[in-house]
Amino acid sequence: MNNLRVFWNRYGLLIVAVLLLLVPQFTTQYEFYVVQRGVQNAMLVLGLVILIGYTGLMTLGSAALLATGAYTYGILLLRLGWPPLLGTIGAVLVTTLVGTLLGFPAFRLSGPFLVVTTVGFGEIVRILILNWEPLTRGPYGLSGFRAVMPTTRGVYYVMVVVLALLAVVTERIGRSRLGLAMKAVKEDEVAAEVMGVNVRRVKLISNALTAALAGLSGVFLASLTGYLNPDSFTANESTTYLLMVVMGGMSNVVGSVISSLFVTVLPEVLRFLAESRLLVYSLILLVYLRIYHVRSSKARAKSAGSRGRS
Amino acid sequence: MSVGLWIQIILNGVAMGVLYSLPALGISLIWNATGLFNFAQGDLLTLGGYVMLTLFGMMKLPYIVSFVLTLAVMGLVGYFISRIYFYPMLEHRVHPQIILIGTVAASVFIRNLILVIWGTMPTTFKNPFGTKVMNLGGIFLMPHVIWILGIAAGLLILLQYILRGTMVGTAMRAVAQNQTAAWLMGIRNDRMIALTFCMSTAIAAVSGILITPIIPLTPDMGGLISVKAMAAVLIGGLGSFSGTLIGGIAVGVAETVFATLVTPTYKDVFIFLVLVAFLLARPGGIFRAHVSEKV
Repeated sequence: MNNLRVFWNRYGLLIVAVLLLLVPQFTTQYEFYVVQRGVQNAMLVLGLVILIGYTGLMTLGSAALLATGAYTYGILLLRLGWPPLLGTIGAVLVTTLVGTLLGFPAFRLSGPFLVVTTVGFGEIVRILILNWEPLTRGPYGLSGFRAVMPTTRGVYYVMVVVLALLAVVTERIGRSRLGLAMKAVKEDEVAAEVMGVNVRRVKLISNALTAALAGLSGVFLASLTGYLNPDSFTANESTTYLLMVVMGGMSNVVGSVISSLFVTVLPEVLRFLAESRLLVYSLILLVYLRIYHVRSSKARAKSAGSRGRS
Repeated sequence: MSVGLWIQIILNGVAMGVLYSLPALGISLIWNATGLFNFAQGDLLTLGGYVMLTLFGMMKLPYIVSFVLTLAVMGLVGYFISRIYFYPMLEHRVHPQIILIGTVAASVFIRNLILVIWGTMPTTFKNPFGTKVMNLGGIFLMPHVIWILGIAAGLLILLQYILRGTMVGTAMRAVAQNQTAAWLMGIRNDRMIALTFCMSTAIAAVSGILITPIIPLTPDMGGLISVKAMAAVLIGGLGSFSGTLIGGIAVGVAETVFATLVTPTYKDVFIFLVLVAFLLARPGGIFRAHVSEKV
């Protein structure tokens, strides 16, 4: 059992990546599309691992960052005629900039106050996309731009390789000096500050990294679907991403990749759930949080010696 | 613009604002009692509206009867949410971030439950206050505006009475102030917190019932309303009764005035920008509630 865990920790990511590379060999076109969406979602969720799992800053604005990346890519290609590669870089840069700006409120606000700010940010982006018709074509949606690569398979292989690289990088960040600083901020901001961690810088960096990953994910989303609509970036999507990272174990990289793939693919396996997909997800999440966390804090209380009820 | 028109706009804004204040009060009450920020408040409001739709719009019960029944049903919902979900988590000192995620999950759950039961089509029921525009000395108002203001005022007075004038209310405030001390005085924390949830859900349901003449019911209307309610709470000052009320009215009036003078398209953006400005410049809100958690 213990050996199995060591084996999984070492080779889990490799196994997932190889399985993903094999997927196009034995799936129909539609199933393939769903897996592609899963890989694309996993990129964004890796960003959330950094922000929520490492630094402990909750967000409900991830769909808005995704939208920023996707729309910037589309607009750069359509309106300015940039080549796809340059468009990708531009989109990631713009999203990073926007996401970093979102880091500034995090200096003074914490907990629910910060979450409300991100919800507000999400709504602002959605309303802007919906109404800024000359640029985004509003409710009609944006289409007609080229994909990142000429062939769908090509895009897919690039995505899997990029995802694997990002996963390794995220894992390394978690164990680096920066990652330890992030985890210190999560545990106790004041103590971290006293220990010489630059809390503001750490918060800004984790916001920037998250935004960059969200932007990249957005570029691949645009490239996959070829059509962007404000309806695909609602608060519901943000919550789904939150679910993915929580189910993945918050700061567990491989777990988050697997849970994003799983949560994306699940509705296709369970077709009868199509209508009530989010109902089932949120119920699973509620039960998981209630049972798992109550039990784990019970265990913690027991190991810390019985202090009686408060 | 004439003075009459201004009064008209502001009264409409106040009516809208009161409807934001009610769920905001619920958020504030729960925050005081448990230190938990309830993101599901807007969706509980929507659920209240839909229960009313079933009782009044479909089963054709009299308005008053269905109003009271809806409040009772939603109160029970709030009570049980606290008893089976949030209180056990609070009791075991689960990390606040996890509980926060729990309320977000509850919000999604309720929203999709509504979607599965009642469908996605925007619906509404007959406006019980009539649809004839009233003319009060040159000021034209829909009758429901007056009714909303009246009912909300009555509810707020009742709420103040319960919180300040009865034993149960005093016990609830004691729990909000210091749980351990309240426990030592023989107050059952779990019951009082459940009662707080019950009350705040019922207040949100009132708002959900009254809002239908203005906004048709859709399963995800709770999202936008709850963001407005949160804005109201944070602008007014989290945890402060009058602050929340004033914050809600400020949001409603600002929104209506902005929609009339500038453009209705960006009124939500305007409210969020005001909120962010408030959070950055004066995080405690108008009434300076205590935001910082430690040190």
